[in-house]
Amino acid sequence: MTGAGLRDLDLRDDTLGNAMTSLDSRLAAYIAHRIPDAEDIVVRDLERIFGGASRETYRFWLDYRQGAESVSRPLILRRDPPGSLIETDRATEFGTYRAFFGTAVPVPEPLWLEEEASWLDHPFFVMEQLLGMEAGPTQVVAPPYDQYAEQMAQQKWTILGEIHRADPSALGLDSVMEAVTPDACWRRELTHWERTINEDELCPQPVIRAAIRWLRRNPPPPPERVGVVHGDYRTGNFLVDPEGVIRAILDWEMAHLGDPLEDLAWSLNPVWRWAGDERAGGLAPREEAIEIWEKASGLRAESDALRWWEVFSSVKGQAIWISGGKEFTDGKNQDMILALSAWLMGNSQDRAALYTLGHFT
Amino acid sequence: MRPDPSRFLGVAAGHLMTKTAGALPPGYEQSSVSVIGLMLTQLGEEFERAAARRIEENRELRRIFADAVDIVADDDLRAKLAEAARGEDLNFTVSALEQSNCALRTLLIELHVHVEDLDSEAARSLEAEIWHELVASTERRKLGIGPF
Repeated sequence: MTGAGLRDLDLRDDTLGNAMTSLDSRLAAYIAHRIPDAEDIVVRDLERIFGGASRETYRFWLDYRQGAESVSRPLILRRDPPGSLIETDRATEFGTYRAFFGTAVPVPEPLWLEEEASWLDHPFFVMEQLLGMEAGPTQVVAPPYDQYAEQMAQQKWTILGEIHRADPSALGLDSVMEAVTPDACWRRELTHWERTINEDELCPQPVIRAAIRWLRRNPPPPPERVGVVHGDYRTGNFLVDPEGVIRAILDWEMAHLGDPLEDLAWSLNPVWRWAGDERAGGLAPREEAIEIWEKASGLRAESDALRWWEVFSSVKGQAIWISGGKEFTDGKNQDMILALSAWLMGNSQDRAALYTLGHFT
Repeated sequence: MRPDPSRFLGVAAGHLMTKTAGALPPGYEQSSVSVIGLMLTQLGEEFERAAARRIEENRELRRIFADAVDIVADDDLRAKLAEAARGEDLNFTVSALEQSNCALRTLLIELHVHVEDLDSEAARSLEAEIWHELVASTERRKLGIGPF
């Protein structure tokens, strides 16, 4: 066990931040600040989790005493990195966890949001860790989980429908997410991700530039209703228990208000076919996924509109891979996942764009 | 005889992904080493074709530009296309080939934008040729372990 307690630290000392050198002891000090009546606070077994490309993600155990009660909790720390695949507002992500916690959309319990960088060098938040779960996209479509593919598919797109059925105002999300009118949804998203490509591309992108022009020439109709868009809803961003039950939806860092079809299209993108066949997300045939979502959301996936968002999803995907590749090249963040994504996903994303545009079979 | 780089990278990748990663405790470092191994397999694949695919693509792009000279309606673009079509790769280092490839692909985007707005049978035919090249260029870059 590795651990850091507060026994050697003077929490009243203003220079505490400078004196602490290890993340676990600094985290323990922060938690002492958040739970002032807790004693014997220990952060132990702090370990970084691979793959959190937008934020550094760590798992750890928190032990403390509160009155006569001894508490031991597995938690997650999500800390902003110097550079990432995507630049996002952790307040929005945290607010979304808070809004959905305890609803039909399963999420871990969010605990503390800290925007002050002095505690851990960068802003961060802490939330509940669910133990014994699998999230790896290739793992959840392989044995032993593959026997639950139909069940996971049913749950995956039903939960997505629940997200889109939710009223953002009732959840308080209109205070943390920028408002958008129905007819502005597509333009705002396309403009944002095109700008990312403009700023970060290291080499010309003729396929994606052509896709962007097609999108601007063929705008989709406004959505039936503006809803909460998860922004990265795909196999790999949910936790599955050993019985194939989805216990939590993760990675809300790109959540925003918009057209629900954006999420459905993203979930159908061919680059997430982790099982190596044509099933969406490695779980279900495309038409079946759409049907589940339509039933759960009460919305209709009109084919031309869905196609627009599917082409868009490849533009957004490519923007993310380009952005990560630039961060790696510039040396701002040399997490290996950024290099791998730029190499491996970039070509697949171009292929997906060509496929959706009808130029590639 | 010495192992060629692609062979070496493949063996090194296998070593990292099995022996080295396997010797590490599960966690961030183990995953990082596995990903480095995956990257090496891709680099091995890319090493073999790095110059060839750029030479082939640059030649295709110059051919398209030569075809386009008589179709485009803009004098400046026509002059750029004619000049690019006359170009030739003389430096076969991958970085030099990549530099000319980027310049040619930038011009391809400009040509594609222009052709989309032209209303003629020749323009549609050229546009189809451009799309064909975009598919071919994506195939040239395809990696064996890509998800799609």
